[in-house]
Amino acid sequence: MGVRKIDVSMCTGCAICVDYCPMDVLKMDGERQKAFIKYLRDCQSCFLCERVCPENAITCIPVYERRIPLPW
Amino acid sequence: MADEVVMRDIDVLVIGGGLAGTFAAIKAREAGASHVVQVDKASVGRSGCSAFGAGVIRTFFPHEDDRDKAVYESVLRSHFLCDQERLAQHLDDVYDRIREMDSFGVEFEKTPDGKFDRILARGIYRRVMFRGGYRMMEAMRKAAIEKGVKIVDRVMVTDLLTDGGGAAGAIGFSTESGQVYEFYARSVVLATGRGFMKGRRPGHRNVTGDGMAAAYRAGVTLAGLDSAVPNTGPAHYDIGPGNNMYLGAGGLLVNSDGRRFAETFDPALKERTELGILSVACAIEARRGRTPLYLDMTGVEPEKVQRMKRVIPLPLMMYERAGVVVGDRFVKRIEWVIEGPSCNGGLLVNSRYETTLPGLFTCGDTMPAVGPEGQTALPGAMTSGARAGKYAAGYASEVPPPKISREQVAEFRERMFAPLKRRDGIEPDQVLLSVQEALMPYDVLVLRHEERLKAALQEVEGIWHGQVPLLQAYDPHYLRMAHEAGNIALVARMMLESALYRRESRESLREDYPYLDHTEWVKLVTVKRDGDRMELGAAPVPLERYKLRPPVEKVLHPLWRAAEKQGIIRVENGSVKWA
Ligand SMILES: Cc1cc2nc3c(=O)[nH]c(=O)nc-3n(C[C@H](O)[C@H](O)[C@H](O)COP(=O)(O)OP(=O)(O)OC[C@H]3O[C@@H](n4cnc5c(N)ncnc54)[C@H](O)[C@@H]3O)c2cc1C
Ligand code: SF4
Ligand code: SF4
Repeated sequence: MGVRKIDVSMCTGCAICVDYCPMDVLKMDGERQKAFIKYLRDCQSCFLCERVCPENAITCIPVYERRIPLPW
Repeated sequence: MADEVVMRDIDVLVIGGGLAGTFAAIKAREAGASHVVQVDKASVGRSGCSAFGAGVIRTFFPHEDDRDKAVYESVLRSHFLCDQERLAQHLDDVYDRIREMDSFGVEFEKTPDGKFDRILARGIYRRVMFRGGYRMMEAMRKAAIEKGVKIVDRVMVTDLLTDGGGAAGAIGFSTESGQVYEFYARSVVLATGRGFMKGRRPGHRNVTGDGMAAAYRAGVTLAGLDSAVPNTGPAHYDIGPGNNMYLGAGGLLVNSDGRRFAETFDPALKERTELGILSVACAIEARRGRTPLYLDMTGVEPEKVQRMKRVIPLPLMMYERAGVVVGDRFVKRIEWVIEGPSCNGGLLVNSRYETTLPGLFTCGDTMPAVGPEGQTALPGAMTSGARAGKYAAGYASEVPPPKISREQVAEFRERMFAPLKRRDGIEPDQVLLSVQEALMPYDVLVLRHEERLKAALQEVEGIWHGQVPLLQAYDPHYLRMAHEAGNIALVARMMLESALYRRESRESLREDYPYLDHTEWVKLVTVKRDGDRMELGAAPVPLERYKLRPPVEKVLHPLWRAAEKQGIIRVENGSVKWA
């Protein structure tokens, strides 16, 4: 699951998280100038967006979004 | 679709923005290439394994370490499969690359007198520590830009362009606009990383074997795809990486009886043993019904946890969020498993980082990784990337600009956009899950047997023929996911075919061929496209040129021997029987 929430009240629209996300999960809402989660399922729980957001507007949790088979 | 972007007259095109690709781009510029372009399907320096590197770099310091020992251990632990000429280059170069990274602003842990602080982690070499993979790579990205590398982010390369048998550039699409990108280049460095299958552990799920798949389609020879040693990680938290730090700091691996088990196979290093041994040890516990397994870090001292917070800040944040780390302590055991398979093969490469396609160079994780100690992982990416970039620049200075055929471009464009044109097709996720289910069980690629490898191959062939041609995408983002899923399926086929081809136990254990056979198998398994057929073969390691050679003998593999000694298995009629 990884990225859970972007707090719109804190987001200043700097787009840093969108530039960093390796999985292309986050996009900018051009009109409102806010980042949003577009492709949650492809999030790899790397926490990079949370770490780089200068406003601490992003929260991630380390929970699998898709089922990954266990080896045994 | 919007008009294409065509970038002409490139001297060196670097595909992939990890540490290997970024060193290649920097060194190509330093070697005099005037037009160097580096492309990444995400962003250069913010993607791939490098940006999530777990804080440690195994480094040989010429003024502190014993070179003969380094060579001996690296060759031995590669089971004699390593290129000893490249290993020598690696040992010559690695300390200089570290110092260069220091000068680029990469933050290393230092002692009070300003020297690199080095710790023991997995294996026998001490490692330097850097603070946060993404911060290391941010410094590298900045250095590349300052050197005049032209960076193109968010363009996924789908195919390699060729002219008259040589590399001529690449073609891809923007995952934002869907525009086609055509790169015409005199030489190409392929640095797209490994073939992971979007398995456990965050940080590598965008490294999906795209480069290997494109090279295969272009008729380039690949090698070492039978190597699939996986890492280990948490079963239920989506957290990673950091095992070097955890096990180096005194983390213990225990089975369902609460007993440590790694020491059965490596009494000296125990949990700090190499991955090939650790994953086999875990698989054997599973085979004996002693799961679940746990990583127990509750005894690790607070100072070491504080250091982890500096060196691997992302995973530590995740463990805090999961309630496993409270303050400076790990407070719970973590259920632990073998992660999904990772394809450790790559493009067959010589000691000038040339592939079998003239003008196509490769480096880092896109080369076959042989053994845990030599030119592999981050240190390998540094030394091979730097050399590949320099040699590619030299090549580019001697050849004319490529001649691109419109037919080839048209064919690749058609293939690129096919998933967008389909209606009622298959979701990339379905293909992904089906491949994972075929490959992930521990007894397919960790503990191997012909019957199980063949069954998995049949599954994957079914997916390849029945599902991959129907992959559907709704927009450029999904188009990336569709190509990734297709490439993962192709890499899975190559891995299983290669695993079946090697009829002995070497890096991985076969129950039906338990012998380590130096008389026959000091070879890399190779794969090459021949029309619609996959052609398997072997590239012998040129031992006659090397100083270190194995004894010419065929013996029970040391890990099977250890298992036999413990009464876990016996060998009957040349095959393993479980006790
Ligand atoms: C989570 C994790 C932690 C690790 N920690 C350590 C460690 O602490 N120490 C260590 O020595 N080693 C570590 N390793 C191994 C090490 O990180 C890798 O060996 C090394 O980073 C490989 O570098 P690379 O440049 O070859 O590939 P990568 O860093 O994987 O880079 C490949 C790049 O290619 C891009 N790419 C892929 N396909 C395409 C395409 N089709 N088009 C355009 N671009 C594409 C990707 O986006 C990515 O940026 C770790 C590996 C993982 C997965
Ligand atoms: S980094 Fe933070 S502030 Fe900037 S766009 Fe993203 S969420 Fe908003
Ligand atoms: S956790 Fe990683 S993959 Fe997920 S949205 Fe954030 S940056 Fe992207």
